[in-house]
Amino acid sequence: MGKKTIIPIGPYHPLLEEPEFFKLYCDGETVVDMVWETGYNHRGIEKICESKTFEQVFYVVERICGICSTSHPFAYANAVESIPGIEIPLRAKYIRTLIGELERIHSHLLWVGLAGHFLGYNTVFMWAWKYREPVLDMFEMITGNRNSYAMFTIGGVRRDIDSERAGKLFKVLDEAEKKINLLIGAVMDDPVIHARLKGVGTLTAKDIHDFGAVGPTARASGVDIDVRRDDPYAAYDLVNWKVITAQAGDVFAKAEVRLLEMLESIKIIRQCLDFLQKNPEGEIKAKVREIPAGIGIGHAEAPRGEVFHFVKSDGGNSPIRHKIRAPSYTCIPTFRRSCIGGTISDAAIATAAVDPCYCCTERMSQAYDFRTGKKLYNAADLIRLSQQKTEEIKKQLHKR
Amino acid sequence: MKIEKFIEEVKQKYPESDIEVINQKRLMIKIPRGLLLKVTDYIFNVRELRYIIVSAMDSQDGYEIIYHYSDDASGWIINLNVLLPHNLPEVESITPVVYGAEWIEREIMDLLGITFLNHPKPERFLMAESWPEGEYPFRRKENKE
Repeated sequence: MGKKTIIPIGPYHPLLEEPEFFKLYCDGETVVDMVWETGYNHRGIEKICESKTFEQVFYVVERICGICSTSHPFAYANAVESIPGIEIPLRAKYIRTLIGELERIHSHLLWVGLAGHFLGYNTVFMWAWKYREPVLDMFEMITGNRNSYAMFTIGGVRRDIDSERAGKLFKVLDEAEKKINLLIGAVMDDPVIHARLKGVGTLTAKDIHDFGAVGPTARASGVDIDVRRDDPYAAYDLVNWKVITAQAGDVFAKAEVRLLEMLESIKIIRQCLDFLQKNPEGEIKAKVREIPAGIGIGHAEAPRGEVFHFVKSDGGNSPIRHKIRAPSYTCIPTFRRSCIGGTISDAAIATAAVDPCYCCTERMSQAYDFRTGKKLYNAADLIRLSQQKTEEIKKQLHKR
Repeated sequence: MKIEKFIEEVKQKYPESDIEVINQKRLMIKIPRGLLLKVTDYIFNVRELRYIIVSAMDSQDGYEIIYHYSDDASGWIINLNVLLPHNLPEVESITPVVYGAEWIEREIMDLLGITFLNHPKPERFLMAESWPEGEYPFRRKENKE
């Protein structure tokens, strides 16, 4: 072999590439109304699931979202397993929990990076995405894939983690933790980020209740909900951890909740690895004969909030109805409360604050003048405006 | 919220409802469609349960609409079930009570052809403008005639 060529790929900006169409109507600097158009990317997954067997549905729902590709199988497993009332083996419970928490860390790191970019902090963006790599490496060690892990099956998981691998994972986790701590310190202690994010895009507890918003969006407004604690599944009631909440409801509070949640996730992963190392033997899958007729309702706490699956079976080998609700479906409408009344330069970060996952909707922000309907800005302009505002805050802080 | 107490109260307030525990921590309350707004108001505003989503399906007996709510303090999921006959797929919109239900009701309108009365914005949501009127992908063939 001769010379090796290294091709640098990325970092891409998935938040800008996915299809979502927003119209922000503005009066001068202020956003006065907001309109969505959706359905550009509807894939009919609920309908597809009706033509697959219960086992195959795992691989369909895993492809709903590339970022939180375990949370949908998780909620689906909870739903389907509740119909015959299957109790999965303890070892499988811990492995499921481990995968769920690793996913939370990599998803939150991705968000921190993008939020940094929107604010003009491209260093934060580079750091966060660089420190996300060891987490993806851990996924590769466990499942063979950096994404779409195909770990779940009815009654358990498909791959085991042996003691030797658990030992290796401990080492990677220690490394990742150091870097994540560094990142948290850098973001939380930065006076410009405080000045830029506090009081922006605020949601009250009433807004959360009105829209049914979930996850870090709700917890940042002081609404103490988390499916992992409220309706425990997998091994979440067997490990030690706490739900992170904040009271302010603004973008800073949402960032704070996500950053501190990563530390809780590391705590959970460590306990799972510890269990797997100390108990190297055990089944990873319960035997399941058939799914009887009935209704299964399952939910799971994804990085963005509760994922909800409703499965109806008639005793055959595929669901006759499968309803899926991703957390963004109830979080995105809150933009009406968080953006309207705010300035146009805050729109980019206020909309990014709920960590919207546009799996089936088009994303493209454009600002229109509310009197003439004339187009003012597109998505790139909005990010530029947001970055300019950060620059101004920086200058003002330096002057003092 | 104590679930036994909740069931008692619903039975007392709405004797027409049919309550069943379908699974561990899952409750199904079947109500006639005329009661929907009253029960929704009780569950969402008085009991302050969290709205999750609405599921709709075409079954043999009619269109089943299931409203899912969660009581996060106890982990119970409360499901309100309304059955609409095939020849009159109409029900009151809950959007005036539950603000967050706007999208899903429009989606069900598109996919199953249910009319939500008094919906504040009964426009197309998922389907393209060019999609033919009166074609609903989630309706089952055997029920179409």
